[in-house]
Amino acid sequence: MDVSDLRKNAKLEIDGQPYVVVDFQFVKPGKGQGLYKCKIKNMITGAVLDRTWRSGERLEAANVESRKMQYLYSTGDAFTFMDSETFEQVELAATIVGNDANFLLDNLDCDILFYNERPVGLSMSSHVVMEIVEAEPGVKGDTATGVTKQAKVSTGYEIQVPLFIKVGERVKIDTRTGAYVERVNN
Amino acid sequence: MIGDTPGQGLPWAKRVALWDAALAAVRGHLRAEGMREVSTPVRVAGVAVEPFIEPLTAPPGYLATSPEMVMKRLLCRGSGSIFQVSHVFRASEVGARHSEEFHLIEWYRLGAPLAVARRDVESLVDAAFVQAGRDPVASWSTFGVMDVVEATLGYALRGDEEADELARVSARCGLPLRVAGLDDPSPEVRRLAAWTAFFSEWSDAHLDPWLDERGGGVHVCDFPPALAALSELREVDGHVRAARFESFVDGVELANGYQELRDPAEQAARFAAVAGLRRAHGAPVLPVDEGFLADLRGFGLPACAGVALGLDRLLMLAVGADRLDQVSTALSVPGRRES
Repeated sequence: MDVSDLRKNAKLEIDGQPYVVVDFQFVKPGKGQGLYKCKIKNMITGAVLDRTWRSGERLEAANVESRKMQYLYSTGDAFTFMDSETFEQVELAATIVGNDANFLLDNLDCDILFYNERPVGLSMSSHVVMEIVEAEPGVKGDTATGVTKQAKVSTGYEIQVPLFIKVGERVKIDTRTGAYVERVNN
Repeated sequence: MIGDTPGQGLPWAKRVALWDAALAAVRGHLRAEGMREVSTPVRVAGVAVEPFIEPLTAPPGYLATSPEMVMKRLLCRGSGSIFQVSHVFRASEVGARHSEEFHLIEWYRLGAPLAVARRDVESLVDAAFVQAGRDPVASWSTFGVMDVVEATLGYALRGDEEADELARVSARCGLPLRVAGLDDPSPEVRRLAAWTAFFSEWSDAHLDPWLDERGGGVHVCDFPPALAALSELREVDGHVRAARFESFVDGVELANGYQELRDPAEQAARFAAVAGLRRAHGAPVLPVDEGFLADLRGFGLPACAGVALGLDRLLMLAVGADRLDQVSTALSVPGRRES
């Protein structure tokens, strides 16, 4: 892959190890060469390294396979998923699941990533639908500034939603940004 | 306070008000200075070729990476001093302070020296800051870029080093040059490759921290000739330097200004060197803007100073944000990746 295809969550193979880009910064003097300053995490050891690539360089994408699995339960340190056809279960450490834990509802379908048969990561769908379990009541009249309010969804994740959203309603959330997208009618 | 994660930022209605006030202030200032506003095509047959700026294609042409070529052709044809707030596009430039589409304020003043163009930058920055409720920049200072290189590296470069010498010195200063083209058969291509890579590595490792430490407004000027881009050369204290400046506020690159190059033969030679460097690092071949070169030859470009200033970054600074997407009014961006 070309260095300009680098982005957060890209999977790379370096010296025979799979890495995921966890942070990505593009800097470039207007007339200069672009620098892609990345933090990359070894998907097996969890070690995080700094690497910088330059415009024009090429990279090797990691050969990561994904399998559809269902989220079962968490022990806090680890999350367990099950292949609903073979009933095979795999465990991912909480450090690997990261912020995606905010959106893991029981029985949610996810893509579990395997590198050489070993579970190394999780890829969630870009959007999930979750129920609002707590929300401040909407305040009328203040339309100029306060167009959103704090609410909590069933996993405990807190999110900004429009004033008209009520407890018990379901909302679509973008898992990449963690932001509210829209109300989902039942 | 504005956070540092995507999605946070100014409320949408405030963004609209911010852009409205800034556009009015910019236009008001440049018109009051006697410039006419122009609106040139976004889709063009050829772009101003740069070693590391890739246009988005819009067959059979491109989306403009800058309005420079077309505005200079209007200058050749008697437009007088002109300005434009234009939408420009640069493929794959995505980050906290980069976006594939952004706004350039570009202006050309006939017969003006670079010092006047620098004052324009200062006035526009102040106008935008005041509109957004931020105090004007407390002080501006101007430095020769080679003096800043010496201050930060502890090594005085002359500015006319050939590629192999510059690569050696740079590596010794902890900045190995990693760029294709250092062994190109053409000395112009080698020189352009080495100086472009040196400036990129040095900016990241030394200039950015130096600017962060200084804060405020800084103009960096008198570039080495290999980095002249489309500016004229002149002699400064016995060295050939490019009549060019870059302006920074709070360490963020905001503007680029040139005493515009008028010699068509020199212009064609610089385009050829850029094309050679692009070939060396495998970038797509771009057509030479023959219409632009023909106008330089056929009508002649009047003596002028030209500046391009990034409006999105200016507004980001004006409201104390640190990401463009915290002030942008783009609700969706094609193919936007997380950053």
